[in-house]
Amino acid sequence: MKFSDNQYYIEKYIKCDNCGMLIYGEGLKKSIGSKSLFCSEWCIDWAQKKFSGEDDPNIPLPRDGIHLIG
Amino acid sequence: MDMINMNIIESAMIAIAKEMGINVQKTAYSTIFSEAEDFTCALANREGELIAVADFCPSQIGGVPLLVRSMLREVPLAEMDEGDVIVHNDPYRGGLHTPEHTVFKPIFFDNEIIAFAVAVGHFVEVGGMAPGGFPGEATEIFHEGLRVPPVKIIKRGKDVPEVWKMMLANVRTPRGNYGDMRALISAVDLGELRFRELVSKYGADVFSRTLFDLLHYSERRMRAEISAFPDGKYTFVDRVEDDGIEDKEYEIHVAVHVHRDEVVIDYSGSSLQAKGPINATLGVAWSAAFNAMLHLTDQSIPKNSGCFRPIRVIAPAGTIMNVDYPGSEVGGNTETHPLIVCAIFGAMSNCVPERVMASEGTTHGCFVFGGHDKVTDEPFGGFDFSYVGYGGRSFADGNDATDSINGNCANTPMEVFETRFPWIVEEYALRPNSGGAGKYRGGLSNVKQMLCTGEMLVSQMTNKHKIGAWGLKGGFEGKVGATLYKKSSSDEWKTVVDAFGKVSPSKYSNVEMRPGDRVRVLAPGGGGFGVPSQRTPEAIDEDIAEGFISVEEARNKYGFSSG
Repeated sequence: MKFSDNQYYIEKYIKCDNCGMLIYGEGLKKSIGSKSLFCSEWCIDWAQKKFSGEDDPNIPLPRDGIHLIG
Repeated sequence: MDMINMNIIESAMIAIAKEMGINVQKTAYSTIFSEAEDFTCALANREGELIAVADFCPSQIGGVPLLVRSMLREVPLAEMDEGDVIVHNDPYRGGLHTPEHTVFKPIFFDNEIIAFAVAVGHFVEVGGMAPGGFPGEATEIFHEGLRVPPVKIIKRGKDVPEVWKMMLANVRTPRGNYGDMRALISAVDLGELRFRELVSKYGADVFSRTLFDLLHYSERRMRAEISAFPDGKYTFVDRVEDDGIEDKEYEIHVAVHVHRDEVVIDYSGSSLQAKGPINATLGVAWSAAFNAMLHLTDQSIPKNSGCFRPIRVIAPAGTIMNVDYPGSEVGGNTETHPLIVCAIFGAMSNCVPERVMASEGTTHGCFVFGGHDKVTDEPFGGFDFSYVGYGGRSFADGNDATDSINGNCANTPMEVFETRFPWIVEEYALRPNSGGAGKYRGGLSNVKQMLCTGEMLVSQMTNKHKIGAWGLKGGFEGKVGATLYKKSSSDEWKTVVDAFGKVSPSKYSNVEMRPGDRVRVLAPGGGGFGVPSQRTPEAIDEDIAEGFISVEEARNKYGFSSG
């Protein structure tokens, strides 16, 4: 989420290329096919496995609570 | 873990949330709060995790964690003072849809924020292009009413008049909206009071430790439930019949990945976002997944963020499952949410068939209207629910005339409806033959016919006028719904497509109604479960005797010949 300098409005709504989560900070940058910005390592791992053709990836979820806002 | 303390504290917190809800109901100005109970009250910890919720509106339960966390990103804890109340309805910042307003109140204890009291409520009037908040022909968020980012509406116990004035200047029924907002605020005030009393009773340390244990307990219970599901990938595709703008279908793709004690629900492959307002927000995409999982698992699991931890949602941006700014979205929370839940049931019918139902009618009807009442000389705005048939199950028929799975909203009594709005209800009944045939029949929907007694504009956001609720395991589709209009000068009932030249029969805006005009709203029935030929003759006899199905339906769908 890119806010204006004075924080009064949003200039750009930014979401994770994998899961669609709102990204308030910098996010994680990695090029995987057409995807390049992620909210978490989990999403990077998921996108990589899907991009490599894996149909049913098995990646344990992070144990730090429900999906955190990156 | 002290199970006794945990149970007592959890029950006490749920009681607080319920009392907050009763407060909303008893103090609200609008019937959508006072009668239909389209709101939810909850408590969250300082990290934004849901810790307790009352069972009012399920669509809002799964939305609370994202709502609180999004709010915390823009109003940090350090900027909150005792007595502050924050309001937020922005669909692009974790909100569910424009009408859903959330108020948060930080709860201080020993000068520190320890929790939040949260009240979410559906406002009938939010401005925008049509009275009633459901413009079925909206193509951008600006058609759908006023968007409120997280802002303080009360600072240190005092109103922020600029915010109130800004909000109330942008709606058609400012007095009603003012009263409803006060109702939500009174709920979080009460929640704050009761929560402090509870923490004082146990002490902050014991309380904090118990909350930690409660979230972990809930997580473990959910993980144990998921562990009982066979591992695998389960898929389903359902369709939205149109978006109100173009006469074309949109697809909802669901893949449920079950591995050990965790679930990933992936919506990849769903249609790109629509021009019309059927798009789900991210909050809806999450909430629908959590809603489905709560239905598939033990209902006694405490409903808090702990039980959501083993569930991950993938909602690709720019699709009808996660709309990008500035797409329209108001129907995503009412129509697409139940479609998503049922699509997850469809997928899981290959995993745990004994726990799912066939599709329900997946709509709340969302028949909305507004105008200026000549008798009271006041503006009015109203929302009328339709009640759908639920899907048949592996052990029972579907429920009859029930609010769609994310609503749980109650019926507004006819006497109240006719007193508050310029309508006379001429017929309100179960709709015979609307449930899909099956070993276990789909539930019946309702039919409502109303005579208009004032001038008003009517809009609707509904679904399943073209595509019936699907059956499972050989069960038949439920009957599609319809909304029919009859002008006072005519004897002919017509759809809005025929009568007003609209694109969609189920999603439209601003149809003019005058005294003497009539409308007939027929809600869709539920899908059947199992092949109809396996339904017992006794059950068919009873259906005929009760008027649930006709003799002809029994003959045609069940091959039944009564002695």
